[in-house]
Parts: sequence; structure tokens; C-alpha cells
Amino acid sequence: MTEPVTSITLDESLARAGPSAASFARLWAALWQQDQLPDGLLELCRLTFARLHRDEAELAAVNPQAGRRADLDTLRRLVIEDKAHDSAELSDGEKAVLLFAEYYWTDTQSIPADVGEAVKAHYGEPGLVLLIEALGLIDGRIRTARCLRDMNAFRANQEDLAHVD
Amino acid sequence: MSTKPAHVTGSGAQTGNVIRDSMMGLVPGTVDEIIALNGHVWRESLVSPALLEILRLRNARTVNCVFCKSVRYDVAKADGLTEDRVQLIAEGYEDSELAPREKAAIALADAYLGFPAGMDADAAGRVADQFDDDEIASMMVALMTYNFTSRAAVSNGGMPEDALPIMEMSVSAAAG
Repeated sequence: MTEPVTSITLDESLARAGPSAASFARLWAALWQQDQLPDGLLELCRLTFARLHRDEAELAAVNPQAGRRADLDTLRRLVIEDKAHDSAELSDGEKAVLLFAEYYWTDTQSIPADVGEAVKAHYGEPGLVLLIEALGLIDGRIRTARCLRDMNAFRANQEDLAHVD
Repeated sequence: MSTKPAHVTGSGAQTGNVIRDSMMGLVPGTVDEIIALNGHVWRESLVSPALLEILRLRNARTVNCVFCKSVRYDVAKADGLTEDRVQLIAEGYEDSELAPREKAAIALADAYLGFPAGMDADAAGRVADQFDDDEIASMMVALMTYNFTSRAAVSNGGMPEDALPIMEMSVSAAAG
């Protein structure tokens, strides 16, 4: 069975676009190599967005760039079950990042000043900027993957109809 | 004009590149590729600059990026996208004089930008009728690029609430 298009596998589908897709893939790869935020935290943001999109394929996707921290599986489960904010397993800084991500997803225009300040207090301005970049890229890739899955389903349906005819 | 304070101010650089001089200049590990990406999107996409500008402006309108809404890229203007046509990228665009290909591009943008994001069969059919898979992939890369940069500006705050005057911008100012 073919793996569904998700934010993780998206570059394979986009490669046909040429240099712009290659550049986008390089930016995506670079994102996971930055050290402004703790290891694994961007993966928790991705899973937060997957949960908010109610996207089962995205929730099930395995991200090889997620990070190597020992407690990542525990943290993944907490985020997927929407229990991260009540858990002692995450630091205050990590919770601040996830709260910023939830505001970003819900209404990008209305992120309270104190929510941004909390991220800056833990990770500085570069940490907040990297987070903002990452959230846009993660959400964009999830959105694109959803559109391409729908396009693929539409085409498959059209082919089925053609065979019936 | 009132402005909500920004979480982060610019990088402090004055290179003349609008991306490097913005807050994005604070993350050296990504800024060069973001600038390169802008260049690839505008110069090497598989659809016309006018169509790219339609995608960009539809995104700007939905995201409500006041800066992005005020900008007009020189390459799109040179490609024939007049201000009269720009005004058609609005509510009721489906009944406008925009070409079927332009309307299908807007349908693609709206599918991407929607809550929930995704394409119903009607939108998928309209897009598939007008574009091949290479063009769709190219437009998705462009949409993601415009969307993440505009949402970066919006999420950071510091955005004017009132519309700004229309400003023509050269691709080189954001793409190196």
C-alpha cells in the first residue's frame, strides 16, 4: 500500500515542480537542524497541528528528523492526547512554545503579547523567529498534503468512473 | 493608524533585502534559503508571474497581511496583471472577467487556506481541468512560500490596521 502524502513525504510529490521544490525541501531540512529550540520540540509542534487539523495520516506519519531525545515517544503521546499542558514531563519553555503554536494555528493575527514574551524568555528572539518560521512551514506542508491527497482521490475516482464507462 | 506591538523587531541589518533585514535575519541557518526560495518561486515556477501574483494576493487577503496586500511585484505587472484585474481577486471572483485558469488558481488557494484545508470534488475538478500535475506542484510550492512568510509577518504583530498605499516591488528586493 502506498504511503499517504503527509508533511513528511511531501517533497516526493512536489519534486516535479523543479528548482523551487528543491529549494523548499532544503529549507525544510534546514529547519530541523537548527539549535535555537530544544531537540524534538518542532516535532511536538507538528503533532499539535496534526491534532488540530484532525489529520489521521499526519498523526501516524513517522518523522525521521523528529529528534533523538529519550522521552520523545512519551511527549508525542501527550501532545496527541492534548495533555501536554497539564503534564510535568514538559518544561515551562516547551509548554510556552506549544501554546504559541496553538494560538498561531487558531488565529495568526491574535497571538497575545504575553504568549510571545514567554517563548522569548526561554529561547530568545532567534528562538521565537525560528518557531514562527517552523510553524508556517509545518502548517503549510500539512495543508498542501491534504490538498494533494484530495486531488489524488479525485483522479482515482475519475479513473474508476472511466473504467465503468 | 494603530499598530499592535511586534514580538520581535527587525534583524538590525540594512542590506536592502527585505527578508534579510526583517526578523528572519535573526536565524542565519534559514534566512539564506528563504531568500533563495523566493527567487526560485518568482523566476523558475511553471506558471506565469501573473498567476503567481494572483495566488500571492489571494493568500495576503485571507491571511490579512496588510504589507503583502499593498505590494505589487514588478514581474507580474510586466506579465500583464493590471490593477483592474487585481481588484477582481475578491469575493465574487467566480462571476468576474478573470480567465478560467485564474479562477481555478484561486480555487486552489482557497482549498489550501481553508478550515479545514483540502479540496472538494468541485474544486479538484476545476483545478485538474486547467493545470497539469507539474503546474499544480509548482503552485503549491508558491502558495506555501507566500503563506509562511505572510503569516510570519502577521503572527509577529507590528502590522498596521489600515490599508497601505500600493507599492511596486522588484523581485530582487526579496530574492537576492
